[in-house]
Amino acid sequence: MNPRIPSMLRASQRALEMWGVIVAFVILFAVSTFNQGFDFLNPENFRALLNSNAPVGILAVGMTLVIISAGIDLSVGSMVVLAAAIGMTTMNSLIDSGTSELNAVLLGGAVTILAGTVAGTFNGVLVVFGRIAPFIATLGGLAAFRSMSLAIADAGEIRSQSATIFSALGRGGVPIPGLLNAAGKPLTLSYSTVIFFVIAIIAQWFLSRSRFGRQLVAVGANETAARYAGISVSWVRLRVYSIMGLLAGIAALVQSSRMNSVSTSQLGLGSELDAIAAVVIGGTTLRGGFGRVWGTVVGVLILGMITNILTISGVSPYWQGAVKGAVIVLAVLVQRSSRE
Amino acid sequence: MVARSTPISFSAQALKAQEDLNREILVVNSVTVDYPGVRALDAVSLAFRTGEIHAIVGENGAGKSTMMKVLSGVIRPTSGTINLKGMQRQFTRPSDAIRAGIAMVHQELHLVGTLNVAENVLLGREPTRFLGVAVDHQRQHVVAGELLRQLGSDFDLSTLACDLSIAQQQFVEIAKCLASDARVLIFDEPTAVLGEVEANRLFAVMRRLRDEGRCVIFISHHLDEVISIADRITVLRDGKVVQAFSRNTSGIVQSEDGSIADEGRLAHAMVGHELSSIYPEKMYSTCSSSAIELANFGAKNKSHGISFSVAAGEILGIAGLVGSGRTETAEAIVGIRPCEGVLRVEGREIQFTNPRAAMRSGVAYVSEDRKNRGLHVTLSSICNMMLPSLDKVSRLGGIMIDSHTEKRMTKKWIDTFQIRCARPMQAISSLSGGNQQKFALARWLEARPRVLIIDEPTRGVDVGARGEIYRIIAQLAREGLACIVISSELPEVIGISHRVIVMREGTIAGEIPSERLALKDCQERIVRIASGLSEESFTNK
Repeated sequence: MNPRIPSMLRASQRALEMWGVIVAFVILFAVSTFNQGFDFLNPENFRALLNSNAPVGILAVGMTLVIISAGIDLSVGSMVVLAAAIGMTTMNSLIDSGTSELNAVLLGGAVTILAGTVAGTFNGVLVVFGRIAPFIATLGGLAAFRSMSLAIADAGEIRSQSATIFSALGRGGVPIPGLLNAAGKPLTLSYSTVIFFVIAIIAQWFLSRSRFGRQLVAVGANETAARYAGISVSWVRLRVYSIMGLLAGIAALVQSSRMNSVSTSQLGLGSELDAIAAVVIGGTTLRGGFGRVWGTVVGVLILGMITNILTISGVSPYWQGAVKGAVIVLAVLVQRSSRE
Repeated sequence: MVARSTPISFSAQALKAQEDLNREILVVNSVTVDYPGVRALDAVSLAFRTGEIHAIVGENGAGKSTMMKVLSGVIRPTSGTINLKGMQRQFTRPSDAIRAGIAMVHQELHLVGTLNVAENVLLGREPTRFLGVAVDHQRQHVVAGELLRQLGSDFDLSTLACDLSIAQQQFVEIAKCLASDARVLIFDEPTAVLGEVEANRLFAVMRRLRDEGRCVIFISHHLDEVISIADRITVLRDGKVVQAFSRNTSGIVQSEDGSIADEGRLAHAMVGHELSSIYPEKMYSTCSSSAIELANFGAKNKSHGISFSVAAGEILGIAGLVGSGRTETAEAIVGIRPCEGVLRVEGREIQFTNPRAAMRSGVAYVSEDRKNRGLHVTLSSICNMMLPSLDKVSRLGGIMIDSHTEKRMTKKWIDTFQIRCARPMQAISSLSGGNQQKFALARWLEARPRVLIIDEPTRGVDVGARGEIYRIIAQLAREGLACIVISSELPEVIGISHRVIVMREGTIAGEIPSERLALKDCQERIVRIASGLSEESFTNK
C-alpha cells in the first residue's frame, strides 16, 4: 500500500472539517438552482429567505459564543417571546397614554432589548453563581420565560398599536443600488438582514481579535487551565449569557416589528433548536473551545435554503423537518473530528 | 476465553511460568512508523523476553511512545511485523492487544471515578451468576482483593476510584492488567507521578511480576531507576535503536562491547553527545529582603503551620512525598484553594482569592499538571503564551488584541528559550513535553512576576530540555526573582535549590540548609524525613 495514502486521507479529512460547510452550501445552492431555476434565483426569493431567517440567525450568532464557552442556551426562543411581549406591551401602553408614536416605539424597542438582556443575565447568574449545568438552568428558562409571556397576554396575541413606524421598521430595508424588482422598484435588503450581518461581522471580529474572544475560547477549551492562567471564568461566562440575552432581545425586536404583533404561543417556538443546528452545521464543536461565527452564518443560510427549496418545490411542510434533521446529522458526520 | 476465566490460583500459575522463563515472547521485526513528515520509528527490531524487566529509554520524540502504541494496538506500523509467542500478529485496536495478553499501564490513568476499586479492577470481566445476568459482587470482591494483595496493596475495595491517590490508582490499573491475565505489561513512565516511597513500592511489584514469568516493559526518564531495576535496557534515538544493555550474571548492566551502563553513558547514548552536569552553578545572592513570607500558613484541610520566607534571588526547594500537601500549599498561596494563616508578599500582608489577583501582586504559579491545568493543549502556542498577560497586548482600551505585538512577544520567548516549534499557530499538543513546559514557564515570565512557584518543573521532560529548564530557573534567580521549586525528584531539588524544606503530612518536617545540600547523604536524609523514618531535622534557626 502506498504509505502516502493515509496521510492524504487525513489531510482531506481535516480540510473537510474546516471547509465542509462551504462545500455543503455550494452543493445545496447548485442543486436548488438546477432544480428550480429562476424561482430559486429570483432576487425577491433571496430577500424573503434572508428576511425570514434573520431572527434565528441573530440567535445563532449568540449561540455560537455560548457553545464556544462550553455552555448551551435552550431558553433563547422563550427569551425572544418574553422580550417581545414585554416590549410591545410597554409600547402599546405608552401609545394609549398619549405618548408620541416615535417615542413609544423607541422606548418599547429599548425595553425589548433590555428585557432580553436581563433574562440572559439571569441565566448566567444561575449558571455561574448557582452552579447549575447550563443545560438545566436554561431548560428552566425555556419553560418559565414562555409561560410568563403567555400569562402577560392570556396566551393570545398582542397587536401593535403603532400603525406606521413600528411596522415600517419590520418591512423596510436598505435599497440595493442597481437592482430592481418585478414592479420596477429598487430591491431592498431588509433591515433585519442588515442587522443580522452586522451583528455576525462584529461577533466574528470580537471572537478572533478581542480579549474577551480569547478568554471565551480558553474557558471553553479548559475551564481549569483558564482559571490557573488568571482568567476570571465566572465573569467570562456571565458575560456570554448576557450577550446571548441581548441578541435575543434584538431578535425579538426584529421578529415583532415584522409581524407588527406578538403571538405569545407561537413566536420563537423551537428557535433554540434551529439556532443550535445552525451552529453545529457551521462547524463549532459542542464540547466548546473551538468555533466560528462565519460558519454559523453559512449554517443559517443552509437551513434557510432547505426550507426554501422544499417550499418552492411543493414538498409537504410535514416532511421538511425530516430533511432538515438529515442535513444536520450529515453535517456533523462529515465534520466530526479526526483527532480524538 | 480470557474474559471469562479469572485468575484464582496464582501459585500454580507462577509455577508454570517458571518453566518458560527467559523465552522470547514478543518480537518486533523491523517495524517502521511514518507520521506525516516524520519517520517516528525506523526499522526497529527488538525482542522482549519472559521474566525480564526491559527498559526503553530515549529523549522525547525518540520513538518510545510510538513503539508502545504499536505494541498495544493503538496504531498500526507502516511496515514490519510483530510476533507474539511465535505467531505473527496484527493488532488493529487496543482490545486486540489486550486479548492477546499485552496490557499497558498508561501514564494517564483511566479508572472510572464513580465505581469502586473492586468494580474497576474487574471492569469488563465481572464474575457473574444467574446465567451471566447478575454480577456476583461477593466473588468480585474476593477476586479483586486477591489481585491487589498480590501487589502488596491493602486498601478498601469499596472505596470509589475518584477518592484514591494517584499512586493507589496506579496499583488498581496494574491489578486490572493482572485480571486480564496479561503476560506482557507495559509501564509508560509510571514513576512520573509518584514520590520516592511510592516508586519503590511500584518497583517491588514490577520485580514480583517479572519473577512470576511475565515480561515487564518499562519506560522512564529517570536513568537511575532504569539502571537499578532493568534487566535489559534499549536506547532509542531518532526512531532507531542506538544501544542495548543487558544485566550479566554478576548483576552488572553492560552493553555488548562490555561498557557498563551508568547514567552518563545512557544520557550520552540518548542525546548523542556528552552532557555536562545538567545542574547550573549555584549563585548565592546577598539580597536579604524577603520577597514572600509565610507564617503559620496552610491550605484548608490539606496543610498547616507552614512558615518560611524566600528572598529575592533565592531558590527554595520543597521536597516531600506525593500527597504531603506541597501542591495544595502552593495553590493556597495563589488563591486557587482557601487558605489560613499569614501570607506576606514584599512585606505586605495579603490574601489572594484567585490566580489573577496573585499575578497582579507579582506571584505566579506554574502548575504540575501541564495537560489539564498548566496549558490549553488544544489551543495555539500564541494563545497559550499570552493568556496570563492579555492586557499587555490589548489596545482600544483593553478590548482588542494587537496580533502583531502578541506574535512578536511569543517569537521573543521562542527565541529566548530555544523552543522548537514549527509555527506559533501550531496547537501546543503537537509539541514535545519539554517544549510545552518551556511555554508553561514563559507565559508567566511574560507577566513579569517577582515570585515564581514552579511545581514539578521537569515532569515528562527529556534530559536535554531538563538542563535548559534548570539553566532558565537559575538565570531568573540571578536576575532577582524569588523561586520556589516543588519537586518529587530529589537530585533535581537538591541540584538547583539554595535551600530545601521537606514536607510531610501537610506540614514542614525538616529543612536542609545550603551547606548540607552538597553532602553525599543529603538525598537519603530527605527521604528519611519525608517518610517519617527520622525525626531529626536540620533547622538552622
